[in-house]
Amino acid sequence: MALIELRDVIKRYRVGEQEILALNGITLDIEQGEYAAIIGPSGSGKSTLMHLLGCLDTPTSGTMHVDGIDVSRASKNRLAELRNQKIGFVFQSFNLLPKMTVLQNVELPMIYAGVSGSERTQRAREAIERVELSNRMKNTPLQLSGGQMQRVAIARALVNRPKIIFADEPTGNLDSKTGANILELFRELSVQGSTIVIVTHDAKIAAQTPRRIEIRDGLITHDGAGLLTASDS
Amino acid sequence: MNLWLGFLVGLKEIWAHKFRSFLTMLGVILGVASLLSMFSLTAGIAKGMREYMGQIGGIERVSVIGQDVPPEQEGYFEISPGRTVADAEAIVRSAPLVSHVTPVSQLPSGTLQRGNQAFRAEVNGCWPDYVPINKHTIAAGRGLSELDLELGLRVCVVGRLVVQRLFPERPNGNPIGEMIKINDRPFKIVGVFDFYEREADKRKRELAQKNATPRQKANGPPGSRSKPPGSVMRSGGFSSFRGGSMFDRKNLTVVIPLTTMFYEFKSANVVGKEDQGPQYKLDQLTFQIADTERFDETLDQVRSVIQTTHRGISDFDFDTRLEWADAIEQSVRNTRMSGGIIAGISLLVGGIGITNIMLASITERIREIGVRRAVGAKGRDIFVQIVVESTVIGIIGGLLGLVASLGIMQILIAISPESNAPVVELGNVLISFGFAVIIGVISGIYPALSASRLDPIEALRYG
Repeated sequence: MALIELRDVIKRYRVGEQEILALNGITLDIEQGEYAAIIGPSGSGKSTLMHLLGCLDTPTSGTMHVDGIDVSRASKNRLAELRNQKIGFVFQSFNLLPKMTVLQNVELPMIYAGVSGSERTQRAREAIERVELSNRMKNTPLQLSGGQMQRVAIARALVNRPKIIFADEPTGNLDSKTGANILELFRELSVQGSTIVIVTHDAKIAAQTPRRIEIRDGLITHDGAGLLTASDS
Repeated sequence: MNLWLGFLVGLKEIWAHKFRSFLTMLGVILGVASLLSMFSLTAGIAKGMREYMGQIGGIERVSVIGQDVPPEQEGYFEISPGRTVADAEAIVRSAPLVSHVTPVSQLPSGTLQRGNQAFRAEVNGCWPDYVPINKHTIAAGRGLSELDLELGLRVCVVGRLVVQRLFPERPNGNPIGEMIKINDRPFKIVGVFDFYEREADKRKRELAQKNATPRQKANGPPGSRSKPPGSVMRSGGFSSFRGGSMFDRKNLTVVIPLTTMFYEFKSANVVGKEDQGPQYKLDQLTFQIADTERFDETLDQVRSVIQTTHRGISDFDFDTRLEWADAIEQSVRNTRMSGGIIAGISLLVGGIGITNIMLASITERIREIGVRRAVGAKGRDIFVQIVVESTVIGIIGGLLGLVASLGIMQILIAISPESNAPVVELGNVLISFGFAVIIGVISGIYPALSASRLDPIEALRYG
C-alpha cells in the first residue's frame, strides 16, 4: 500500500452563493521515499490538493488514506494528530513565530506531541544541525536571512520525524541562489530517505524532481517523470 | 500542551505588550483593590461593633427585667415579691449553668465628693460578681469581697474618670485607702478599675508613650507607672474622643457592697413626708452564662428558678444581647454583600476589558494560530493557550490590585472613624484574589473559543 492513496477525490467549496469545484476526481498514489512536485497554474486546485494531502482538510467525496489510515472523514482533532505525527510543512512565507527563538520554533511541533522537555531540546538541536544553523539557535527569526528562515522551517518540519514533508512554494520568497540551496537541501533529505512533495507553479523547480504531477482545472493532466531525472540535477 | 508551558507563553505575550497589558489589567487592579478595601472596611466596622459589644458584657451577659404579668395573673400578681436578693441567691443555688450573678441596687444620681471636688454619678450596690459580669478589671487595689458584703462596710471601687475628677492633682494615681463621700457618707476607696478605651486608642497611646519626651515622663505622677492612662494626662483629652461616651460611662462606674447600699441609702424611702419603708427591690439583676452554646438552656433554667421565687407569677423577662448581636452581624453581612457586588461589577468590567484585548490579540495572531494548527495543535490546545493567557492577566492584575489596595487602605484609615478602621483579613485577601483569577479565566473563554474554531487553512492564508 502506498504512503498516500487518493481515490476519485472531489472537493467542493461554497463561496457565498457560488459553488467552486476545486478538485474533480483525483486518483493519486505517493510512495514512501518519493520526491515529487505538484505543478499547476494558480486556480488549478494544487493548493487544495496540498491541503488535502497535508491533512489540513478532508475531501467532499472519494477516499484518502495516509499511512494506511482512512482520513476521508476524520475529525478535526484526528487530523491535527496526523499532521503532528506524520506530516511536516514548509511554507512560502516560512511561517515562523517571530517572538520565539529558532530553537523554540523547532520545538513547537513536539510540544503538541507531548515530548518531554529535555528530549525536545535534544531533538530540536539535532534537526537544526541537519540544516546547518547550529550557530543561530538563540536568534529570533527576524534576525535571520530568508534562506536561514526557510532552513529553520525545514528543521521544524523534520523534527517530529514525519512520514512526508510538504513544501508549498518553498523558494517563492527567496532569490534564485538561495532558492537553489534550499532545493539542494530537499534533494539531500530525499536521498537520505525522506518523502518530499513540493507544490509549485515554477516548471524549473518541478523539473528537478524525479516525478512531476501536473494539475489543471481540478484534474491531473500529467503524472510521470520530470523533464530531467534526479541524477541529472 | 501542558499548563506550565502555557503560563510561560502567556507571560511572554504580556511582556511583549507591556503597556497594553497594563491598561488591560487596570480594570482588574482597581476591581480587586476596591473589593479588598470594601471587605476590609466592613471587617473593620464589624470589629468595632464586636469590641463595643464585648465592653458592655458580651452576649453572655443577661439581665432579668420586669414585665407586665399576663392577664390571667393580674388578680393576684402582688403575691410575687418582684426582683429581690432572694432571686440572686436562688440562682446561685439552683442554676449551675450560670457562672456569675449579681443583684444591683442603684443610687441613680449619688453625689460624690472629696474636698471641694464634687459631681453626681450612678452608684451601684452589688455583689463581687458585678466586676466579671460587666467585664471590669481591677487596675489597683482589690474588688469587693464577701467580707465587705457581710459586714456592710463603707468601701467602694471606682473607675478611672472618678479618680480623675475627685483627685485632679493626681489623675493617674491610685488613691487606695483615701476617703470620699457618697451622699455625705464617708467611703474608703479599696480599688480602682482599669482605664477602658478602644484598642485603636490604646495602641496609639502606647505608641505615643514609647516616643514620649523625658519632660512628659517627669510629669507623670509617682506610683502611676504600672498603668498610666496617658490620654487622661492630656487636659480634656477624654472628652475629645470620638464616640467615647460608652467608655466614659464605664470609666465613671462606682460600686459599693449591696448590703451597704441597703443600710445606708435604702432603709428609708421618704415620699412627701412619709417613710414608705425599706426598699428591698432590686434595680437590676444580671447574670453571666457559663457557656453561650447552651444559651437557651441556661435561660430556661434561670426562668424556672425565678418562677419559684416569684411564686409562679410571670412578672419578669430576660434582656439579652443575642438579637442585638445578630442584628449587628446581619447589617455587617448586608454591607459586605452590597459593597462586594459593586466592587464585583467593577471587576466584571475589568474582565470585559480582558475579553476585548484578547480578541484583538487573536486577530493579530491569526497566522500564528494557523501555524500552530498546521504543526499539530488541536483546537483544544489553542483554547487552553488563550485561556491561560487571560488567566495570567487576571493573576498579575489581582496581585497588583492587592498591592494597590494597601494604598487605598491608608486613605481609608485616614478618613474613617478610628473605631471602624479597616482590617485586612487573610480570607478576604484570598477571596478578592480568587475572584480576579476567576474573572481572568472566564473572560478568556469567548476569545479562546473563537480562536480554537479558526479554520487552519484560512488562518494560514490570513494577512
